[in-house]
Amino acid sequence: MSTTFTLNDKKVTATQQQADMPLLWFLREELSLKGTKYGCGIGQCGACTVHYNGQAMRSCSITVSQAQGANIKTIEGLALGDDKLHPVQEAWMEVDVPQCGYCQSGQIMAASAMLNNIPNPTDEEINQHMTNICRCGTYVRIRKAIHIAADNLAKEVV
Amino acid sequence: MESIQLTRRQFLKTSVAGGAFVLSVNLPSVLANGAKQSSSWCVYVTINPNNTVTMSSPVMDMGQHMKTTGPMIIADELDLDWHLIEFTTDCPAYMKRDEDGNVTHAHADMGTGGSHAVRRNWDYMRRAGAIGKRMLVEEAAERWQVTPDSLTAKESVITHNATGRTFTYGQLAAKAGLRKIDESKVKLKERNDYHIMGKSAHTVDLKEMVTGKPLFGLDADYKNALQVVIHRAPALGASVANYDKDAALAIPGVVRVVEVARRTNDNNDKVQEVAGGIAVVATNLWAAMQGKAALNTKWKPNAEFENQSSEQQFEHFHDLVHNQSPTRVLEEDGNVEAALQQAAINLNETYETPLFAHACMEPFNCIADIRDGEATVVVGHQFPNAVAREVERLTGIDALKVEVISKRMGGGFGRRYINDFVTEAVLLSQQLKHPVKVTWTREDEIERDFFAPAYVMRIQAGTDEDGKLRAWHHTQAQTNWGAKAACFPKNLVENYKCDLFEDLSHIPIGPWRGPGHLQWAFASESMIDELAIILGKDPLQYRLDMLKPHKEFDYNGWGAEKIHSGRMAKCFEKAAQMAGWGRKMPEGHGLGIAGHFTFGSYSAFVVEVSVKNNAELRIEKAWGTIDCGFAINPNHIKNQMEGGFIDGLNAALFNKVNVEKGQAMNNNFHTLRWMKMAESPVEIESHIMQNDYAPMGVGEPPTAPAAAALTNAIFAACGKRVRRLPVADEFTI
Repeated sequence: MSTTFTLNDKKVTATQQQADMPLLWFLREELSLKGTKYGCGIGQCGACTVHYNGQAMRSCSITVSQAQGANIKTIEGLALGDDKLHPVQEAWMEVDVPQCGYCQSGQIMAASAMLNNIPNPTDEEINQHMTNICRCGTYVRIRKAIHIAADNLAKEVV
Repeated sequence: MESIQLTRRQFLKTSVAGGAFVLSVNLPSVLANGAKQSSSWCVYVTINPNNTVTMSSPVMDMGQHMKTTGPMIIADELDLDWHLIEFTTDCPAYMKRDEDGNVTHAHADMGTGGSHAVRRNWDYMRRAGAIGKRMLVEEAAERWQVTPDSLTAKESVITHNATGRTFTYGQLAAKAGLRKIDESKVKLKERNDYHIMGKSAHTVDLKEMVTGKPLFGLDADYKNALQVVIHRAPALGASVANYDKDAALAIPGVVRVVEVARRTNDNNDKVQEVAGGIAVVATNLWAAMQGKAALNTKWKPNAEFENQSSEQQFEHFHDLVHNQSPTRVLEEDGNVEAALQQAAINLNETYETPLFAHACMEPFNCIADIRDGEATVVVGHQFPNAVAREVERLTGIDALKVEVISKRMGGGFGRRYINDFVTEAVLLSQQLKHPVKVTWTREDEIERDFFAPAYVMRIQAGTDEDGKLRAWHHTQAQTNWGAKAACFPKNLVENYKCDLFEDLSHIPIGPWRGPGHLQWAFASESMIDELAIILGKDPLQYRLDMLKPHKEFDYNGWGAEKIHSGRMAKCFEKAAQMAGWGRKMPEGHGLGIAGHFTFGSYSAFVVEVSVKNNAELRIEKAWGTIDCGFAINPNHIKNQMEGGFIDGLNAALFNKVNVEKGQAMNNNFHTLRWMKMAESPVEIESHIMQNDYAPMGVGEPPTAPAAAALTNAIFAACGKRVRRLPVADEFTI
């Protein structure tokens, strides 16, 4: 039985053979969407974070068949248009967050999902919801960028 | 004045049209004996006829920002308009043979490690830019029939001062690129003429990173490459007892199952074990991973390595430093034994740091395509010339016929200096006569790490009645490899001895962000605090007094020639000032200070912690200074200060690998805890000292002070002295 889901606003179908493949490898290897990263494979580091029906989800920890009917977004689909990045991406660029950059797709996806649910997070809420690992230790800048993105998103709504 | 001002949008549309003319620069390369010889063309900068520029990074990037810093140096001396530059994603590897026939970098020293990239390339890259500019200036001068001195080069335009006539670089590049110039006329800029360096530039491939572009080795595809996952022996020296080859081959997509021999690695100045195992070769990565699971491999332990356990080794190290005679004296000044006897006040403490994992965020990977007489390797490795040399060593192919396609590294920290993940891919490609891509799992990355050595460091210190340090004896036992010896307080105390016990373990060891420095600073900066406290002195003032008179000394350790007590003192003073050192702290809060000199740069940090119920720890804030000489890009230096310090805090808090019978037991992030947002200080304020010194590195210096700054702060907050890392063994956080 094949699996069908929406990926970055397009319909995707996976075969029966691919049903048990972790979504992470389906994205990276079958669809060549390399933005979602492999960091641990056991849901501990968050490098593989995607949006699953608007919520942050570690794609190494769900299979393709578990994506049936879901609305999935990866980092490649986060930007709002050809020339318009998502406010979280803009904030990341304003603060110049990354060092090696490997964890940052996952950080951006986790942050954007959190801001959907908590538009104006406190530092304590950021601590609770941003549990991705950054090996290079850019946490100070990530936090700054989240606050800037939250402010900018609030301005847009108003 | 005619000049073409292009917006970024325009040049993205127009750079496709017209031929690009490479501004090739004939650069002298400096030989080991200091003599100069002409080298071949060097291509880091392409100036297009429409005046846009494409630049490649002359140095590998593992998050230490060299991909931005290198081009800044060249672009400034070349007087390019930074906004007209587009940056390529890869890092071209130009190699040559030196006079001894060894394969080395042909132009910029593109390797990264030891915080040396800026230091080693500072003169070269400035000169490259200045020579390029001279070629453009001379070309313009010839066309206008004026003297070069009557021209000004600025932001990709040459102006004739008297008439205001202009040429863009794009108009000149083609002919300029062919000129031979008089190199004696090439002048480097004065610092106050810099228009790019000294200012905060953003990362050049920032947009690619935040949009998830495939920048890393793990993202790379290669035509026809087979995907390989290796089931590696988890314990040192273990061999395959049996495995189910057929079960693996039955997985759709798996095409071969081959044994990988156990071998040794010796690019680390030491011959060390590399696990053997079973390679599962497949048409896709997931099939290879499933094939590995299906193998159900059983391993035969190796009796030779059964005693390789980190806890037992700690016990052994403690016994050594307390009861045995060290095997080697590294540094000796005066007579430390006599001075300790005569000291009015003695303090004798032992400090312990465990095996640190590297845990590079991107697990290792390598694509190797070994062909007849030539090869291609796609990899993120700290030293691309070492990759080419390794291919030659293994296959006999001339290293200069090896194309190394270098990728951005998802973390290096010294681990991506080891060749092992290249060697196995090369051998497999050779064996299978096929391009292969080998991908590591996180478990592989930790189990097969070349860890930072564990240390047990005993310090015996003696002072006068008034607290002046008279004797310092620093004895170390560590897993393997080397230890520091020439750091402060050497030169600050008349009677000084540093000795160690050697070759104590077979656990694989390798360089880890400032090798030995965090561990040294943990011991020595803790001991200095402990002395200050029993003497009733302020820890900051005690250090400042010890560092007087301000003087430059010769430095015997790797990575620097001189060490200056005044520069170290200024870092302490400034960090303390930023933190409001000496202010009354809220109940349960404390400030701790520590500083260290690493590879030419000085760094000091103050940390504020709070401790509740004597057991619940929170890191509130940190303030740090760095003296790295001239600050080429303050933004990135500050990012390194924040990240480097957090790496050191993580090492102090959590980073401990347990090896039992030669096997690393905590092999993923559920058992190897790693610092996250919640444990990180909310803010780290950093300050870069301003002076006239040449630029030095920043990748490692901020890490070394972190452990002692933390434990000194913990003591100030609650009176508990931590002498054994990880801190999380004694505190919850």
